[in-house]
Amino acid sequence: MSDRRLPRLLQTPAVILLLIWMLIPLGMTLYFSFIRYVLNSLRRPEWTSPSLSNWRGFGNYEFVLNNKDFFFAIQNSLLIVCSILFATVILGVAIAVLINKAFAGRGIVRVLLISPFFVMPAVNAVLWINMILDPVLGLQGIAVAGINEFIDGMRAAPVVGGFFSLWPELEPISFRATQTSAWAVIIMVTWQWTPFAVLIFMTSLQSEDQQQKEAAILDGAGAWSQFRFLILPHLGRPIAIVVMIQAIFHLSLYAEIEIVSRGNGNKNLPYLIGEFANNNIGAASATGIFAVILANIVAIFLLRMIGKTLME
Amino acid sequence: MGQIELTSVTKSFGDVQVIPPLDLTIEDGEFAVFVGPSGCGKSTLLRLIAGLEDTTSGTVAIDGEDVTQVSPSKRGLSMVFQTYALYPHMTVRKNIAFPMRMAGLSDDEQKKRIAAAAESLNLTDYLDRKPGQLSGGQRQRVAIGRAIVRDPKAFLFDEPLSNLDAALRVGMRLEITEMHERMKTTMIYVTHDQVEAMTMADKIVVLQAGVIEQVGSPIELYEAPKNLFVAGFIGSPKMNFIEGEEAAKHSAKTIGIRPEHIDVVESGGQWKGTVGVAEHLGSDTFFHVHGTGLAETLTVRAVGNVALKHGDKIELNPRAAEVHRFDQAELRIA
Ligand SMILES: Nc1ncnc2c1ncn2[C@@H]1O[C@H](COP(=O)(O)OP(=O)(O)OP(=O)(O)O)[C@@H](O)[C@H]1O
Ligand SMILES: [Mg+2]
Repeated sequence: MSDRRLPRLLQTPAVILLLIWMLIPLGMTLYFSFIRYVLNSLRRPEWTSPSLSNWRGFGNYEFVLNNKDFFFAIQNSLLIVCSILFATVILGVAIAVLINKAFAGRGIVRVLLISPFFVMPAVNAVLWINMILDPVLGLQGIAVAGINEFIDGMRAAPVVGGFFSLWPELEPISFRATQTSAWAVIIMVTWQWTPFAVLIFMTSLQSEDQQQKEAAILDGAGAWSQFRFLILPHLGRPIAIVVMIQAIFHLSLYAEIEIVSRGNGNKNLPYLIGEFANNNIGAASATGIFAVILANIVAIFLLRMIGKTLME
Repeated sequence: MGQIELTSVTKSFGDVQVIPPLDLTIEDGEFAVFVGPSGCGKSTLLRLIAGLEDTTSGTVAIDGEDVTQVSPSKRGLSMVFQTYALYPHMTVRKNIAFPMRMAGLSDDEQKKRIAAAAESLNLTDYLDRKPGQLSGGQRQRVAIGRAIVRDPKAFLFDEPLSNLDAALRVGMRLEITEMHERMKTTMIYVTHDQVEAMTMADKIVVLQAGVIEQVGSPIELYEAPKNLFVAGFIGSPKMNFIEGEEAAKHSAKTIGIRPEHIDVVESGGQWKGTVGVAEHLGSDTFFHVHGTGLAETLTVRAVGNVALKHGDKIELNPRAAEVHRFDQAELRIA
């Protein structure tokens, strides 16, 4: 038995380190979520330092559940994460398959494709919201104005004028507004993370067996069947990896939301935690525990779904 | 039906011409084997027939119909690859069903053919396994099953047995030969293995650098090789080649004699030498003989166990009727 004990012994430091790494923050969050703990209180100065005598039970949880933004934040978190996952996986697979074929300038195209991934999230958000999505000064505003001008000009044209005069004036979309700010975040994060998906899928496609493909061609499989029955199952595992990693990252989006609308109409759980943490650490911790539960539910659900649909 | 005809086919990769103009006809129901040294273009030729490579010029015809521009799947040929090329995410059943599914066959018909193929290939118990859970021999049988169910005009095999161990190879060789006897479908088979070529083929095509050196039945190639290359390539161990004075006696540039056509005698042998290595197989004994003054080494095959060992003197008598003669251009002198 001693020959088994040694490897275990050697693993122990790593395991212990990992446990400390995870358990201490989780334990502290749990502890704070059950006590009254605020950063600043003139009326109740005893609440400003964490102590068991400030025990509040599930009071913080109740407070969070009754907050008008809580369910909205959960819903928004899910909307943002799921939309980004959906878009990046589909775009990632499509682009990876397209640039997997040899063509002139493939190296440059690949480098360009990967580059968004190296932009800092805050910079990414500033660039998108000010230079691209802005309804007046951004590319969007300029494009919409240009199209409107073009249509205006065509109204006077002889034969086709009648057709163009039926067209309405286009309105640019304001992405800082309550209803649309989540979509601004989804667009900019999708742009930034699609390269990650492409990179992973491309690597996986390189390891595809050429003879399998030739066998499929001889078996009468067209381009679509090859994609459906060979490429997609081959990509099953990388898709699962991309989905998992991105789910973890995007459940905790913060910078983009802050920059686009300061949470106006577009809060997710981390943003809500941030708001509580301005003063109420107890409520922020309780929200954090909810976030952990949500992340676990999402992870389990996603794994099941991917496992079923792709691995056959 | 499945007669395959290549007419002045060439193939170049970039500037390199791998197959110079080549004509070849494989008759319906024939078992044709392509042999040749590594890199001589056997696989390329097979892929040209399958349509996986485009010809640079020339035509490929199946049953008299020009298919040079026809897509691989429409040529009605099945191919079995060296690496099996099974679809790893599908069960054996789905693998075998795949070509039928692509062709849109009815479920009943698919089931019937899968059952028949599984039966004849001993795969019935493995239908619900994935390829990763099978042995090499079983995987190759699945690949053959997938080829059979399409009911092809011809089967193309590219070194299908080279990844299997020796014992399994013998078994699979017999199975494929039996399959050919039963189905009478045209088969083209690429191999490195002498024994596979000699035992399975109706017709052997010997290739060198993309050029067909000789086409013929195994026995024709063995008894009357057209040139030095074929003489050296067919037969194992290799034919002995002798040049110089001894060849001049036969009025040839080079003479060749196979190891099994040299007799070991007690005394009065025409050729004398020393045993270098003696390989005792029980049924046969191979001697590598040095110091004969004819060639560096002469390989001799004696039937049964002959008790000579390293360093012993040996006397040899070639059978005059079995001497092959070749001229200056390395061609056979009739
Ligand atoms: N896609 C390709 N591009 C360039 N050259 C190629 C390509 N495929 C094959 N060749 C060349 O063509 C020649 C014939 O190759 P082929 O694969 O047909 O040989 P082979 O007889 O099957 O050899 P082996 O017995 O080793 O399988 C080789 O010199 C090879 O380098
Ligand atoms: Mg080959």
